[in-house]
Amino acid sequence: MYGGGNIFEPSNHNDVLNEDPVKLQEFEARIERGEKIEPSDWMPKLYRKQLIRMIEQHAHSEIIGALPEGTWITRAPGFKRKLALMAKVQDEVGHAQLLYSAAETLGKSREDMISDLINGKSKYSNIFNYPAYTWADSCFISWLVDAGAIVNQVANSKGSYGPYCRALERICIEESFHLKYGHHCVIHLATGTPKQRQMMQEAVDRWWAPMMHFFGPSDKISVHTEILMKWKVKMASNDDCRQQFLDMYVPKIWELGLTVPDTNLKKNEETGMWEFTEPDWEEFKRVINGDGPCNEERLAVRRMAEERGQWVRNALKSADMKYVTPLA
Amino acid sequence: MDSLDPRIQRLNFPKWEKDLEKNHLDQLETYEVFVQTKEGKPYQHEGVVHASNSDMAFLFAKEQFGRRYTCTGMWIARSSDVSVSQTTEADKSVYDFVEASANSDQLESCEVFHLYKRGKQHRHVGAVQAANYEHALSESKKTIDEQKTVYNVWVIKSSDLLKSAEEDKVIWSTLPEKQFRDAIAYKGADKIKEFKEKQANS
Repeated sequence: MYGGGNIFEPSNHNDVLNEDPVKLQEFEARIERGEKIEPSDWMPKLYRKQLIRMIEQHAHSEIIGALPEGTWITRAPGFKRKLALMAKVQDEVGHAQLLYSAAETLGKSREDMISDLINGKSKYSNIFNYPAYTWADSCFISWLVDAGAIVNQVANSKGSYGPYCRALERICIEESFHLKYGHHCVIHLATGTPKQRQMMQEAVDRWWAPMMHFFGPSDKISVHTEILMKWKVKMASNDDCRQQFLDMYVPKIWELGLTVPDTNLKKNEETGMWEFTEPDWEEFKRVINGDGPCNEERLAVRRMAEERGQWVRNALKSADMKYVTPLA
Repeated sequence: MDSLDPRIQRLNFPKWEKDLEKNHLDQLETYEVFVQTKEGKPYQHEGVVHASNSDMAFLFAKEQFGRRYTCTGMWIARSSDVSVSQTTEADKSVYDFVEASANSDQLESCEVFHLYKRGKQHRHVGAVQAANYEHALSESKKTIDEQKTVYNVWVIKSSDLLKSAEEDKVIWSTLPEKQFRDAIAYKGADKIKEFKEKQANS
């Protein structure tokens, strides 16, 4: 589960000017023709750097994203919901494995990626720094956070880097169940007793702001973004993803008699665009930089898993092992 | 640190004192996974797992790649045991650059995998008897379909591949009793309709 709002590294035009012009031209022509770039192909340094960063953030988001839902497995209402939620959480962790491998083909080891996550140097999707207070929060995540992630992932699966696209295709197919399961859970609460309805409404109220943040701030048009778009690293702007999400899901929220806590939210029939109150980007920045309600807990849980599993990995290590970059 | 989750609360996490740096090979080696999705179909490269040996890799791979889709067989090879050819462009095939070579050394079985299209996965095409990787390419060249451009070739010694056993087929029948993982198991339209009617009438 991952939204837009990728934090790309700042770069300047020189990064590209220093590249071999002939190779760069061949590389761009390949992307132009719609062909994929494979790990063994030549690629500009900037392309490699930004892709590693993007895929790595995506992988971390899958791992951390499993935590707020994972805590609800033991308290899920009924055996069927437990089975489904367990399967969903397992899928998310599996997605992280697929994505770490895709990033690894670009030359960053999984050790380094995990170190950067647990030491707070890497980012992950901001929305998972918020707590899931009730079962209804977990239902909101399963339906709408996954829906948002699918909007972003479907766009990215048409990108230029082969291993990332292949991982995303698999991820998108697996997530179609998450979306339906999540919707089913929300329908159950929203059409249920007044108490259930109230619980669902409160979850929507709590999660709406983080959901709007999920796609990231408006992209500034810069040379930088233009290159990422041209190289098919970034496939859709944050605003496009947000609009697509609103268009697909706001009517589905409304039809359940739920309200969205933004009185300005409406579709402008003339432009076809959704209008809404500008999200609080100061809060977004504050939380992504570590000061959210759950940042500390999320990383502490990961660090504990690392520390407690260390002896097992040490026992499995043998002297004749050698690392090679995975192939595809 | 206060958590909503009582189990996390009970863990009473120690204070974050220093960064944890993972050591080299902490995540062990990588293994390439090949999957057969249906009886009779060729094995196809599906992805990578980290593990300490091929048995453990098989266990992880079965969970990772055999969990949600039909799967009838799985092969595992250490990434470092895969010999990778050059990658060709446009209408050039890898085999255009392979010269015939004879070799009378000890021969052994080698599995050959072809990449027919960029962006797709390597597919198993068969096995040849060869003395080394180079010889395997020249042996494989004798059997290829000239109509198809091969952009990349992987060769793996059969003895380096862990293959799922024929008599263990039953391990792949994990799907029918787990329909709760299918989107189709979740139907809500009737409930929404009923709800809307009730709203309209009240």
